[in-house]
Amino acid sequence: MNRNWMKVFVAAFLEIFWVIGLAHAYDFWTWTGTIIAIIVSNYLMITAAQVLPAGTVYAVFVGLGTAGTVVSEILFFGEPFKWKKTLLILILLIGVIGLKLVTDNNSEEGAES
Amino acid sequence: MAWFSLILAGLLEAFGVAMINQLHVNRNWRTVVLLIIGFGSSLILLGYSLQFLPMGTAYAIWTGIGVVGGTLIGMIFYGESRDWRRLIFIALVLCAAVGLKLVS
Repeated sequence: MNRNWMKVFVAAFLEIFWVIGLAHAYDFWTWTGTIIAIIVSNYLMITAAQVLPAGTVYAVFVGLGTAGTVVSEILFFGEPFKWKKTLLILILLIGVIGLKLVTDNNSEEGAES
Repeated sequence: MAWFSLILAGLLEAFGVAMINQLHVNRNWRTVVLLIIGFGSSLILLGYSLQFLPMGTAYAIWTGIGVVGGTLIGMIFYGESRDWRRLIFIALVLCAAVGLKLVS
């Protein structure tokens, strides 16, 4: 597992926390946590995009964050489960895995960074 | 006004992605400040438009403009890969993310 892809995945994981935080934070500590998650998450995403293509990193970051948020709203906040959501998350994961495969090949060919 | 600020928020998000690219080319404080202003004002405008527009639709449009704009700017101005497989996979991620925001 490439270090920079790891950063993108951690950034997307933290994105879940701050998206939920923006919707549900209610006092000083929950807002502090939300703001720290925003800063760390974006920092990781931006540093990963200094090596990997920014368009790819941003799409994966936003996509995985959305999927994670949808899953946690179903698990923890009583949003209804729908088959459509499962199907869309599957499509999203295919896209992310595909991007990871294609990008690894490119960076070997290009050797730009 | 709500739609205008939503579209502007999407464009500023794409601008933020462009500044991530710019930071790679030219690592200075001016770029970092522009990057923070881009993403920051994008979030503020999104928050404003969410007071008037349905959340799923607004998020979907905002994400869509950000990803498509960021990818196009990356390819046109910063020499990012135009490999058709990359574009198809980005399109898959984008369609799924927009779909999830619309059904949620």
